[in-house]
Amino acid sequence: MAEELNTFEKEAEEMTAMHVITNKDKFERTSGGFVNFTYDGVKYERVKVVRLFPFTDADKYISIRENTDKAKEIGIIENLDDFDEETKEILREQLRLNYFTPVIQKIMSIKDEYGYAYFHVMTDKGECKFAINMASNAVTKLSDSRLIIMDLDENRFEIRDVNALTQKERRKLDLFL
Amino acid sequence: MKENKLTKNIIKQISEYGINEKDILSVCPADLSFEGEYILGYVFLTDKYIGICKSDIPTGYTHFFRGTKVHKKVEEEDLAEYEITLYDLAKTEHLRIERMIGAVLLSAEYDGSPIKIASMTNTYLEQINLFVRHTKNIKNGKAFDADIVGKEAEEEDEESLYCPICGTMYPDPAKKVCPKCTNKRTILARVLRYFFKYKFSIAILFLSYAMGAAISVVWPYLTGKVLFDHVLEKDNEFLARFGVSGKYVLALLLLALVLIGSRVIEEITNTVQMALMARVATATVKDIKTDVFSAMSRLSLNFFTSKQTGGLMTRVLTDSSRVTDFFIDGLPSVFIHGMTIIITFVVMYRLNWQMALIACILLPLLVFMTVKLRPGLWNLSGKRHRAEKAVSGKANDNLTGARVVKAFGQEDAEIERFKNPNNNLKDAEINIVKLRNKFTILYSLVQEVSSIWIWIIGVFFVLKTDKIELGVLLTFVGYVAQLNGPMNFFSRVFRMWSESINAAQRLFEIIDSIPEIVEKENPVRLMKPKGEIELDNVTFGYTVSKNVLKDINLKVKEGEVLGIVGRSGAGKSTLVNLISRLYDVKEGTIKIDGVDVKDLALSDLRKNVAMVSQDTYIFMGSVAKNIAYGNENATGDEIIRAAKLAGAHDFISKMPDGYDTIIGASGKDLSGGEKQRISIARAILADPKILILDEATASVDTETEKAIQNSLKLLVKGRTTLSIAHRLSTLRDADRIIVIDRGRIVEEGTIEVLDKNEDGIFHKLNELQNKSLAAGSSF
Repeated sequence: MAEELNTFEKEAEEMTAMHVITNKDKFERTSGGFVNFTYDGVKYERVKVVRLFPFTDADKYISIRENTDKAKEIGIIENLDDFDEETKEILREQLRLNYFTPVIQKIMSIKDEYGYAYFHVMTDKGECKFAINMASNAVTKLSDSRLIIMDLDENRFEIRDVNALTQKERRKLDLFL
Repeated sequence: MKENKLTKNIIKQISEYGINEKDILSVCPADLSFEGEYILGYVFLTDKYIGICKSDIPTGYTHFFRGTKVHKKVEEEDLAEYEITLYDLAKTEHLRIERMIGAVLLSAEYDGSPIKIASMTNTYLEQINLFVRHTKNIKNGKAFDADIVGKEAEEEDEESLYCPICGTMYPDPAKKVCPKCTNKRTILARVLRYFFKYKFSIAILFLSYAMGAAISVVWPYLTGKVLFDHVLEKDNEFLARFGVSGKYVLALLLLALVLIGSRVIEEITNTVQMALMARVATATVKDIKTDVFSAMSRLSLNFFTSKQTGGLMTRVLTDSSRVTDFFIDGLPSVFIHGMTIIITFVVMYRLNWQMALIACILLPLLVFMTVKLRPGLWNLSGKRHRAEKAVSGKANDNLTGARVVKAFGQEDAEIERFKNPNNNLKDAEINIVKLRNKFTILYSLVQEVSSIWIWIIGVFFVLKTDKIELGVLLTFVGYVAQLNGPMNFFSRVFRMWSESINAAQRLFEIIDSIPEIVEKENPVRLMKPKGEIELDNVTFGYTVSKNVLKDINLKVKEGEVLGIVGRSGAGKSTLVNLISRLYDVKEGTIKIDGVDVKDLALSDLRKNVAMVSQDTYIFMGSVAKNIAYGNENATGDEIIRAAKLAGAHDFISKMPDGYDTIIGASGKDLSGGEKQRISIARAILADPKILILDEATASVDTETEKAIQNSLKLLVKGRTTLSIAHRLSTLRDADRIIVIDRGRIVEEGTIEVLDKNEDGIFHKLNELQNKSLAAGSSF
């Protein structure tokens, strides 16, 4: 009886425990473009790389999780900068696709039409035209000057610093500030 | 977005691999590279291969997302050189769609090792889903016909996804409303329809406005030309026309009487105007509010969760009065003031055309100013509205969370946090006032200058030439001053117009929102419900990118008591929400008595499916009314019996006002358990065929739970019951239990069977709960 109770306690402990991944743990790129990870002598295939603070601290607190439905956490990287260049690049590769968010650099036009706003912008990934629903909270203000804009399909676009835009562009954005 | 064809260029390029156009069974664009760059690309399916063609985007390429693409009749020529990869379908297993934050990844196991096949933006999520379904069908050798037919139908449909006027894709294919072509004029027409109901009052209103305008035109003429040039100049020829030739005092007296008379009439018309305006305005505001409210009630639950409630409140309350502001005060004035201006000009021109020209010389400047400043006002008023929304949202947030704020001692921090949106509102308000002031000052300046101008030129004319008389000059000065009112109005009217149309646009947006849950035409009535429930391959998610329930298959027999167990967030509540059709399934069907819930009459469905959920809602009103909610004709006897069964009778009878106690927002506060028992009583009284208990006894004490359990035992007789519970002891009487984990049914059976499976979740939960009970009692 007591033993069984222990297993439950262990499980509960497992759920609440925090494992820190250090640069001694090994990440490997697979031929299919994924990442394998060895932690505590256990090898995990094609792990998931998840940012815990994707906006405020993108390169800190990165959770590495099993590639199962349950996506159990293997451990947390506290700071990506603690790792060597190669590992950093392996992990960044995964993050780039996982957090695909073009950054808006120039606003050509924003037109507000009956419940929708049409954007025509230049991003770091190229020229884009997208539409947002004005009624839903499509524009998230991360801070006074940083915006995340979500289009009708939940594609994301980011404006890093509103103040870096020209006065003319800012005026177009006025509706959302 | 549907782009389910390869370009001619790609087809030519893949023909080198021995693949012809007719071999291609399914196509989905893949517009992202694995490095996270936009590319031109497609995945396609043949009966042997999954193929990927990729090419870099040409310079100057624009990426289009849903709702922005303009439909072109002629396909643009595709000149790109594609890199083509083919995967042998036989070696490809476990094709999977993985949702990322802003992208979708199609992965698989190829020859035993995991590979990335393609990735795309969320825009193509639906299409890649279809692609994977097609692939699975081909791999399983299943008949492909159904989907092929579907594919052809989709192609035909493609035209209907674009607005026929401007060719732009509809942002919401279900709604087929083109935001670009819904112009401001249609909004105006729609608002006018609200006023049409009061056409009699409005006609009188117009008449009184016209009277006022007429008097204002006559007034300067009487006090200027008539008084000075005819009466005081003793113009007998003129006076003879009124039979007072030579009787100057009498003439003066008559003129004074006419002047007094016109002032009196002006006052009367003013009074009539005010009374009518108040009546029509309040009546239309009421009508609009009613429409918005009823539109909101019709909307599906999704609408309310996707908007802040504070924002909705501003819409219903302030927007509806803002709409009427312009239409009651502004629109008639446009006509009247417009008329006044025109008539004044005509009279001025007839009196002395040179003077009239001189007086009008500065007018084009005024027109230019209005045109220049109008768009700015438009934007600013929209911005103020958003700021208002943020402030009321924040206040609302804080009022509902007052307990937490106090418990954490965050009052000061919250005040600090309130300052920001409040400041924004202040700034928005100031910006509007600034622009408006700039406008008004410029306006007054031009007006002042023009009246001084008249004096100077006029005096010059009077002194140096004999062209005009003193009376004419005075009349002119009077007219120019008279013009100030209407001109000023026109400078204001654009603001009123923009605010009103903005507000109307927001309101119509709600009225036009199509509820996601709509009753079918000629729905099936559920006359003698049995209470059988059948779920067939049900998949559902609140957002496109995340499925909460996956492939649920479940059959519940008539009268069965089914327990639903699972971790929090597993999808239990979602499952029952789907059965009562608060949301519609994404894939699969839900049938009640063999009829798809989508085909059932909503009223029948709601009547026969009652839910007692974890968030209880108490309406403002008496206890009895709350229990009889949705069942107005219940007798006192029935209400008491229902309350007794729910274990609520005791505490209700202890309240001083008994069943007549007013509860809810302003009334007596009930504890969580009491509220829960009242909602159980409500469900009991509704006497549904299907009863859903979603953590119905979660917040009552063990003793009361036992009492309710007992009454529920009576209650579930002859009903199909779905009971969700964390406390497994609640489910002791269930005929069958299902365990849901991460959106799937993972275990199913009677308590005994499930408990025997030692690796199962149920066994584990059961053990854990027994243990913690035992551990608890040993202290």
